[in-house]
Amino acid sequence: MSTKATYAIYLGIIAGLAALGLLGDRFMVYMGMRVMLLAIFALGYNLLLGRTGLLSFGHGALYACGSYSMALVNLHLTQDPLLGILAGVAMAALFSLIVGFFCVRNTEIYFAMLTLAFGMMIFSLIWNLREITGGDDGLVGISRGSVFGLPIVKDGQFYFLVLFFFGLTLWLVHRIRSSAFGLVLAGIRENHQRTSFAGIPVKRYRLAAFVVSGMFAGLAGSLGAMLQYNTDPFSAHWSHSAEPVLVSLIGGLQTFSGPLAGSVVFVVLREIIERYTQNWMLWFGIILLAIIMGLRGGVMGGLEKRLRQRAATRKGGE
Amino acid sequence: MSKNGFTRRQFVKAGLLTSAGAAVGAGVLKPTGLWAAPAKIKGPVKVGYQAIMSGTLAGYGEFHKMGATMAMEEINKAGGIAGVPLEVEFRDSTLKKPQAIKNARYFVDSWGADFLAGVDSSGQALALAPVMAQLGKPLMVTHAATEKLTEIEVFKKGIKEIFRICTPTYQDGNAAAFVAQGLPAKKWATISPKYEYGYTCWKMFKGTLGKLKPGTEFVAESWAPFGTTDFRPHINTIMDAKPDGLYSVEWAGELITMIKQAKQAGLFKQIKHIMLPVGAAMDVLEGLGSEMPDGVWISGRYFFMFPNDQRNIDWVARFRKRWNHYPAYVSETGYSAMFAYKQAVEAAGSKEAKAVIGALEGMKMGSPAGERVFRKEDHQAMYEVPWGLTASNPKYPFKVMGKQVVIPPVEFFNRPPFEGPGTHPPFKG
Repeated sequence: MSTKATYAIYLGIIAGLAALGLLGDRFMVYMGMRVMLLAIFALGYNLLLGRTGLLSFGHGALYACGSYSMALVNLHLTQDPLLGILAGVAMAALFSLIVGFFCVRNTEIYFAMLTLAFGMMIFSLIWNLREITGGDDGLVGISRGSVFGLPIVKDGQFYFLVLFFFGLTLWLVHRIRSSAFGLVLAGIRENHQRTSFAGIPVKRYRLAAFVVSGMFAGLAGSLGAMLQYNTDPFSAHWSHSAEPVLVSLIGGLQTFSGPLAGSVVFVVLREIIERYTQNWMLWFGIILLAIIMGLRGGVMGGLEKRLRQRAATRKGGE
Repeated sequence: MSKNGFTRRQFVKAGLLTSAGAAVGAGVLKPTGLWAAPAKIKGPVKVGYQAIMSGTLAGYGEFHKMGATMAMEEINKAGGIAGVPLEVEFRDSTLKKPQAIKNARYFVDSWGADFLAGVDSSGQALALAPVMAQLGKPLMVTHAATEKLTEIEVFKKGIKEIFRICTPTYQDGNAAAFVAQGLPAKKWATISPKYEYGYTCWKMFKGTLGKLKPGTEFVAESWAPFGTTDFRPHINTIMDAKPDGLYSVEWAGELITMIKQAKQAGLFKQIKHIMLPVGAAMDVLEGLGSEMPDGVWISGRYFFMFPNDQRNIDWVARFRKRWNHYPAYVSETGYSAMFAYKQAVEAAGSKEAKAVIGALEGMKMGSPAGERVFRKEDHQAMYEVPWGLTASNPKYPFKVMGKQVVIPPVEFFNRPPFEGPGTHPPFKG
């Protein structure tokens, strides 16, 4: 597909989402925000997993860094949402720098286990520092305030702030993937020894990828705190870290749009199943299993392959 | 007289016709269809109910469901709420906050719920408060106990949509202190869950008992994280401190495990006074069976043997017939929540949120647990729940309450404005 067509598709998605924000009912608007937040989280995460080939189980903690920093700024300093988000992203960056510094020395399962350990450390810190974090109750009473004089108190208004950051994330992640930096990350994934023989400091690049993906987690976290009016210690738990992994797998690891499609499937499919049965976990699990095992390369990967095949047969027929 | 107005003649005609119709209708037919008076309330009354229905605590959700379902069946059999049927839909809350919020939004914005009910965890209840304010529909909490919900969210921040029909942590902390006051124990210790609920209850217990009985010592605390399966280190810590009394708000499966392990360690021989504020839960009593020691103080949010009046006895019998179970406390609160909405809607003559909230404030209602009053200031239901000593009874395959003590709620519920002198028990006069 040409670059122009790709941009057209993404502009179409943004326009569709804007229409949803203007025309959808309050529940659809809310679900739309849930999808976008998960997509921001997963798009950033996939820079690490899909692009660099590092499986992290600690990004939930970075998400929580974002939401708790945002909440603390909101409750104690200023209700300006942008400053809150800035604090959230900055804190997530700081923590991912520290955690990443220790973790990127390893790869594969060792890397995964270390990130899991650090993530759970942050989880227990949040759980135990009750005076600051509210323990298991979390922080409550977050207000949304206004951006440049525009109120974002109502869901229909806040939606467009989320949409703005979603669009920004799409653009940034796309730019990162097609930049020289993004290509080096792909090189590291394919063969880190060869990449280092090419004179590239592999660890530093891994760390950079970790921090960048951590910042997107922090962004999703700080927006999530505003959406839900609270922070949740379980957002730092490894079970939450597994969400972007699943979403990337469902959508397709090697594709840019994979996490996006995965988020839609993850949020909307679950909601649909919940309407029919209380054993939703069972059905959700079975369907996810079918997608992950049946569609190699995820929904988008599978779709791309199908399209390419069709194009090839058409060419062959000519 | 304006052109569109009724002329006197038309008026008289209409009056005659109406009275004739009414006379015929009342005498011959029940008014139906076009003849019936237009119902003030349109469509069914819809209640969205969420509770934990998956994972290790899924049993609680089942008990919620039994109570609320039975209320729905009984209400609809007797003609519904103000003539329209009651509809209840259930959703799994998974104990996670984002799920609780999504459920509430689904119920109100997508399913069209008039009211919400349920909620097990305190964190979820606190997270739902601002959401309910935004959605503008009442939520009747039937299990979550944190006093912050009613003291801060309802009273201080003025979120009128939240009500609570079950007893809050006052029952676990303050009332326990009133019972402990009468016991010959001077040194107390605790093994409690390592989260807000555990900390809050122990703090309340210490605060109130310290005031009721100056000189009481609190010698040891051991906090067990959620999901603890090995309580032996905690039990040893407590036994080493040699207290006279053990206070524990461990609950459900973890309480069962703790009691079994404490028994093996000989804790019940060494420590004579044990207080378990949520020990009277049916899952615990049935789960332990005869392994529950005698002479342990237990309580809950409702106990099926109290009050010993016809209403409660009949209800327990109906419940057993319908479900083949003794009602758990969440069954009673779930059941009564539906009747609270029924009474409020009928009193208000409307299912509009504002009118119903107004009717619920200060409302008195009869229920299996006895008479409840919703306190106007903080929307907390006040009713009596006994503290009792476990005892064997040949009528039951598990331990029940023998000796019972009832502390009147006015004596141990914190009072508005909840801050400053005279707001925490004990109260003078």
